[in-house]
Amino acid sequence: MAVQALQKNMNASNKKEKVKAPWKLSLQRFMRNRLALAGAIILLAIVFVTIAAPLFTPYNPTAINIMNTNLAPSAAHPLGTDGSGYDNLARLLYGGRVDLTVAVAAAVMTMLIGVVYGGISGFFGGWIDNLLMRFVDIMLNFPFIPFILALEAIFNTSGVLILITVVSLTAWPGPARFMRGIFLQLREQDYVLGAVTIGASKWRIIFRHMLPNTISSLAVLVSMAVAGYVGLDAGLTFLGLGLPLTVPSWGGMLSQASNYIDMRTEPYLWIPPAAMIILTILSVNFIGDGLRDAFDPQARS
Amino acid sequence: MATYIIRRLLGLIPTLIVITIIVFILMHLMPGNAFLALTQNPHIKDASVVIQRKEAAAGLNLPLWQQYVNWVMNLLHGNLGSSYQYQEPVSRLIGFSLPNTLTLAITAEIIVLLIGIPMGVLQASRVNKGFDVSTSFIAVLLYSIPGFVFALFLIYIFSFTLNILPSFGTVTPAVPWSGDLGDRISHLILPALALSLPSVAFYSRLTRGNTLQVIVQDFVRTARSKGLRDGRVLFRHVLRNAIIPIITQFGFDIGGLFSGAVLIEEIFTWPGMGELTVSANLNRDYPVILATTLIFAITVLIGNLIADILLAVADPRIRYN
Repeated sequence: MAVQALQKNMNASNKKEKVKAPWKLSLQRFMRNRLALAGAIILLAIVFVTIAAPLFTPYNPTAINIMNTNLAPSAAHPLGTDGSGYDNLARLLYGGRVDLTVAVAAAVMTMLIGVVYGGISGFFGGWIDNLLMRFVDIMLNFPFIPFILALEAIFNTSGVLILITVVSLTAWPGPARFMRGIFLQLREQDYVLGAVTIGASKWRIIFRHMLPNTISSLAVLVSMAVAGYVGLDAGLTFLGLGLPLTVPSWGGMLSQASNYIDMRTEPYLWIPPAAMIILTILSVNFIGDGLRDAFDPQARS
Repeated sequence: MATYIIRRLLGLIPTLIVITIIVFILMHLMPGNAFLALTQNPHIKDASVVIQRKEAAAGLNLPLWQQYVNWVMNLLHGNLGSSYQYQEPVSRLIGFSLPNTLTLAITAEIIVLLIGIPMGVLQASRVNKGFDVSTSFIAVLLYSIPGFVFALFLIYIFSFTLNILPSFGTVTPAVPWSGDLGDRISHLILPALALSLPSVAFYSRLTRGNTLQVIVQDFVRTARSKGLRDGRVLFRHVLRNAIIPIITQFGFDIGGLFSGAVLIEEIFTWPGMGELTVSANLNRDYPVILATTLIFAITVLIGNLIADILLAVADPRIRYN
């Protein structure tokens, strides 16, 4: 992978491009990456069909229709109905809204905690850094499943907001340690020293000089987190620990259809949400890879 | 080396103490306790009295710090307490569940190492050729599939459609060959695959990347120009240098594999630590919660320790003093 990236960089510099804004260069590199572009298009398509769900299905994803339970796929119900009479296509499309919202919101929240915590640790260094990182080490070793179970029980209700909170409360230590590393590196850069010598305040240095330079790493981190959280949320909901089954979600659909009878006889109930989960993670992974290559600091000319 | 390992093992103790304290606090923040269900039992007349007596017997009326100290003192005597839910010593419950989880997790880890790493090396040695491009694409696809989704597909294909592998439990009940080695292995295949395949894909990607970095270095050219066979160069010279970051990563992931096993166990009704953990938390079975958390934490810490030790074995330049 590294050799490929290196070759790509060499090709890029051989072409003697004009001096452009760095973000423009990155965007160009991203657009040249076919897989990343395909990922972006697939993800946009998924986002579009979930937002525009009413255009594709006339049914309400939370309206129970007892007269029409367990229908096989037909023209009226392209993916059939489930045991509660919910239209499966409607649940698939509206469920996507929930899954994507939870994954993106949890990723953003995790990064916010990570940036603030890691930033403070890396910028101030010394005993503050030591203390904060000791706690991160402990939290990184913290067994994940019991922690999530306990948080779920303490908040006592299940719902979108709780799931976002629980995931970000468990996932922040990794990004925090990563951001600390970035801030430690940035602190030693000449332009930060320059800002210090002309008497810029600490907050100005952090917000004006250092934070903008973490954006590229953050973008990669967020994309990786979103991919991971789509699977994590679905997994937790599947276990009965995430969203309540009244909320349409891909994990919930899987969990309801995964008893041995439905799974065997009604694959149209669980294969579509499984495929959506996989497609979403796959496209976000491609985008993440593309972003990493596009932002590669070695490639900056 | 021995002193290093001992020092590291001792170093784990403060971390374990902090983790168990946090769990202890979280546990008591969870609403309700294991005995409140007795109020629902129509055969018990004065439920509140019974509950008080039970709570007192379990030491739940003591101040929190006193309860924690008691728990630690019992632990030092090798006593993990007794489950409220099953009325059995926690050690016996764990003695039943832990071997099942270990079997599953260790099999998965072996699959990861035996397939993931050689696959990555082979891909790197044929970089950008047909084999590399196709298997790399499959690898990206595989690690984008969460293990539990994988499990559903595996069950659908191998248990329901082809009908060749069992989809639940550790043995086939009520047949003469129940519990045979072959029977056990057939039950192990699907859960172990579901648990390991995303990691196999991840490790092949990781190995491929690292091998590509090493393969262009001078000592590899030297080895080749000495006339060594390609396979020998690849697996003796290149892999030895490429494997170090992979081993470190693997150590860190051991704990993750154990946590990941919880979901997989649930799907395959594999009677392991997952089931025990989930039901203990739902039933506020404090002694079991503490014991399972402790075991999960220890697997993570031991994984990190193994990573560091293997690192020293693989790279003689690293010295621990």
